Amino acid sequence: MNKPWMLVTGSVAAMALLVWGLWWPARSRPAATTAGSEQKPLLMFCAAGLQAPVEAAAHDYEQAFGVRVQLQYGGSGALLSNLRVTHTGDLYLAADESYTRSARAMGLLAEIIPLARQRPVIAVARGNPKQIRTLADLQRPDVRVGMANPEAASIGRTVRERLQHAGQWDALARHITVFKPTVNDVANDVKLGTVDAGIVWDATAQQYPELELVTVPPFDAASETISIGILQRSPRAAAALRFARYLGARDRGLKRFQEFHYDPVAGDAWAEQPELVLYSGAMLRPGLEQTLQQFQEREGCRITTVYNGCGILVAQMRAGQRPDAYFSCDTSFMNSVADLYQPPVDVVDNRLMIIVQKHNPKNLHALSDLTRPGIRLGLPDHEKSAMGNVIWKMLVQLKLYDALRPNLAVESPTGDFLINQIRTGSLDAIIACHSNWTGVRDHLDAVPIEHPLARLTQPYAVGRETRYPHLMARLEDAITSAASRARFESQGFGWRFQPASPP
Amino acid sequence: MTAEAGPPLPPLRCRPDWPFFAGLAVLSGVYVLFIVAMLAADLSFTSPRHLLRALASPEIRYAIKLSLISCSLTTLLSLWIAVPTGYLLSRHRFPGKRLMDAILDIPIVLPPLVIGLSLLILFQTPPGRALQQLVPVTYAIPSVILAQFAVACAFAVRTMLVTFDQISPRCEQVALTLGCNRSQAFWRVALPEARRGLLTAATLAWARALGEFGPILVFSGATRMRTEVLPTTVFLELSVGNIEAAVAVSLIMIAAALIVLTLARLFGLRAPLERVL
Repeated sequence: MNKPWMLVTGSVAAMALLVWGLWWPARSRPAATTAGSEQKPLLMFCAAGLQAPVEAAAHDYEQAFGVRVQLQYGGSGALLSNLRVTHTGDLYLAADESYTRSARAMGLLAEIIPLARQRPVIAVARGNPKQIRTLADLQRPDVRVGMANPEAASIGRTVRERLQHAGQWDALARHITVFKPTVNDVANDVKLGTVDAGIVWDATAQQYPELELVTVPPFDAASETISIGILQRSPRAAAALRFARYLGARDRGLKRFQEFHYDPVAGDAWAEQPELVLYSGAMLRPGLEQTLQQFQEREGCRITTVYNGCGILVAQMRAGQRPDAYFSCDTSFMNSVADLYQPPVDVVDNRLMIIVQKHNPKNLHALSDLTRPGIRLGLPDHEKSAMGNVIWKMLVQLKLYDALRPNLAVESPTGDFLINQIRTGSLDAIIACHSNWTGVRDHLDAVPIEHPLARLTQPYAVGRETRYPHLMARLEDAITSAASRARFESQGFGWRFQPASPP
Repeated sequence: MTAEAGPPLPPLRCRPDWPFFAGLAVLSGVYVLFIVAMLAADLSFTSPRHLLRALASPEIRYAIKLSLISCSLTTLLSLWIAVPTGYLLSRHRFPGKRLMDAILDIPIVLPPLVIGLSLLILFQTPPGRALQQLVPVTYAIPSVILAQFAVACAFAVRTMLVTFDQISPRCEQVALTLGCNRSQAFWRVALPEARRGLLTAATLAWARALGEFGPILVFSGATRMRTEVLPTTVFLELSVGNIEAAVAVSLIMIAAALIVLTLARLFGLRAPLERVL
């Protein structure tokens, strides 16, 4: 063999050897470790500044559940740019709210779980040699100040906004010696002594034993929340969400955040499969069931839904039952247990109707027609059911109730009961909701009632004592989503939910 | 008009050489001292304890291994491209040569982050995605090598171009008259003559690849135990304020580079290419 060929084959062989050197440990590793866990690791884009608590929590999680979380670090903004270009990854943890908001506005994030709060402080060398106590001290000629760039890092942006508001920004900006790309660069500068003071997050400063932090009142209002988001296109959303729940659990991941001097939010309790109890008015079942099913699959939780007349549900709550959330048939019932719940949101509404046999053989067209002798009428129970209660109020207001009583053949706790009874032919008319009628419109006719009270609003509220406030808030998001709206509307409900205007 | 008219030229006095050497020594010494001072400053910010702890950490050991292997692979790949490219540009005229020359400069002038971003976007195009169905590139080890290669190869090409330019084509022409064809003249004459240039190109590509960070951060990410090379480690340590560890890793990097480059020079310069084979 001649020399040129030896050179060629030699270099190719060397390359092959190097490639083998890269791959064989990677191949042998999974076989060497847990043989049972065939799960693919989760890929999480994580702000570099948060690596300490996240790495610890990810390690705990792998120990406990055998699921590896690959952490890919970078600046929050740089990672966000990456997310927009590539189509991989399961989770995104930005150093602060603004990036999470941007990512959500771009449609990149599904669920968002809050983790910890942080606020800007002034970091100085331990012992505070330059005696920096106030914002005004930063403008002394002998003090060199570092700060993160307001265009690049959100602490810069937050502080600038806050100070511009107070009219103090221009004076300070003139005295800033250096603007750095990230908050850690600023803290590093203070540690190295290249600046005397740096404006950083409190959690950042507390990770440096060499630094001392000075709190100043104008910054206190500028606190922010660090949140983790599940990527919309994650192929393993359920697994990703489970890790995010672990990270945001007050007795798991958030403990790690606390260890590293973050100020954790009041997170949910940890459970591998949270068991939830939802009390719901029976009329809501057709519009709600599929949403709940999908929510359980995605979140890996189990929801025990108790459907019943709202009077019964409220009585059970009064007797000491504490469901995690309550989806009420009507505002009046929600109001009667308001002390047990966080402020409710109105989700759907439902119109009252006179439901009669097909082709309306008895010619019943108004409430007054129901007083005709011989009409067999069914009403929802006015004590056990929200609907019955509203109907009763309406009839009393119209002074029709006493006239109707002789015709009242039955009072049932829920609208469904009445529908069954009229379908068997034992009743001539019932008063129930549009949604009760939707499923049987081929067999029964309905006459709308025109009256201000003839409309029930269904609010949802999260229990004050629930162990899973954030999970229940996500359930609220699912119930108020566009998909849920379509389901409710197809069942004859009207849509009431108004998204809160963003701050 | 006549030679005798002017005064006789003074005899050429030989001035002492020491100011010249002193000048050389001072100017080069300033730069060397400058580098040594930086190293000394680094040393003052770390301790043997930090160095040992860094070496004991499995993440850093992985980063060292990945750095060394990926740089070597990048170097070989770069030479495979740089030698023919340099030879082609140096010995031949063809349409589009100036354009090709200019294009080869792009990786050198582009900011590293832009290279990373361009790679990232390239592999999200339909052909890029199709390729990724076969071999995962983005955020995986091949992306590290590709990011290093994108920049290092341009430096190797420049070096090989200068090398071949400086070698007179005469010997090759003689070889042609003696019965070699073009290929034989290249393998037997030009390449052995370009040995030093080849070595310089290799060391330059290797060193460039070792220090590569910008494109890797964007294109490969900073995933521990996966795409973490030594500059990534430095970045990760700095981003949590662990300057001591960052400096320790930097020193490990410097040591690794010095060892490899010194060995390569000793080995490469002593042994002529023919004998290596």
